[in-house]
Amino acid sequence: MNHDEKNQNPKTPTITLRKFTLSDVDAFMSWAADPRVTRFQRRDPYSDPADALAYITTHILPHPWYRAICIDNTPVGSISVKPAPGEDRHRASIGYRLAYDYWGKGIATEALKLTIKAAFEELDHLERLEAIADVDNPASQRVLEKAGFKEEGILRKYVRLKGETRDMVMFSFLLSDAV
Amino acid sequence: MDEQTTEINRSRQPLTVTLREFELTDVDDYFVWASDDRVSPWWRWDTFTNKEDVLTFMEETVLPHPWMRAICLDGRPVGAISVTRRTAEHQCRAELGYVIASQYWGRGITTEAVKLVLGTIFGDMEGLERLEALVLVQNVGSQKVLEKAGFTKEGILKKYLIHKGKISDMVMYSFIPSEN
Repeated sequence: MNHDEKNQNPKTPTITLRKFTLSDVDAFMSWAADPRVTRFQRRDPYSDPADALAYITTHILPHPWYRAICIDNTPVGSISVKPAPGEDRHRASIGYRLAYDYWGKGIATEALKLTIKAAFEELDHLERLEAIADVDNPASQRVLEKAGFKEEGILRKYVRLKGETRDMVMFSFLLSDAV
Repeated sequence: MDEQTTEINRSRQPLTVTLREFELTDVDDYFVWASDDRVSPWWRWDTFTNKEDVLTFMEETVLPHPWMRAICLDGRPVGAISVTRRTAEHQCRAELGYVIASQYWGRGITTEAVKLVLGTIFGDMEGLERLEALVLVQNVGSQKVLEKAGFTKEGILKKYLIHKGKISDMVMYSFIPSEN
């Protein structure tokens, strides 16, 4: 995917998005096996690449929209867009994860901006992108704000995470905001 | 059969609001609000036009529902109230929905029904910590019901649901027993 460097923070390396392949499993482990990255995810860190391979095969490859965040074509994270269930096809939620060594460089913000553009172009009828971030994850909240998402409110005791019930901040990016 | 009662005194006219499970024999009463053109605009379903369809709906959706109750006024169903878990992974939350026949609007009946649910649902549904409700921004009546019942408005979710073919903004409310 082509990227316009003029819009990018000069400190951020050039990033691209592409589909995953099975040969990305080692790169995938660089974030999926890291407890610092999986802290706010429902799953525990992977320890066995075979499990990661199974996940890529059964979840990532068939997914409606799942991309590797790449630097020089090497995955350093992932970002996905999941349409809402049932009748609400105009709505989709974004999730993303980045290898720890690549935090703090504007990469996630850039990946979000690329994804917002691609999702509204590629997904029919899409009008609302949303994302939720844990109240104790201000870094992720900042990333979403920098990418242009607007905070809508705090949903209390909204999700179960590793045996705890968490408050989440809801963000949205509307098609009408994209012009 | 579960029954919770409360009495409201309103201009010397006591009303007893109770909740109970539906039976197919309630179809005539169900048809009253299901066929009401004043009620259905607020709901995703279209106005029902015949009792056969309501009967089918009761068989397929109402009776098998994990938690749905008739709102009864002096023992007679005048509406319905339900609590639905929308995701398997997040057992902590469930969504409240309610409907009442239009001739009973504005009398505090729905608010009483919601309060009765609040008194029982957290014991009935294991692991439930959050009861939420999504209301159309233009449905001021329903927002008042939730506020009077003690719910907290958390924000407006823009273009959240498709309602009658139109993408609509919804107000998110929640009730957290430990906080509200």
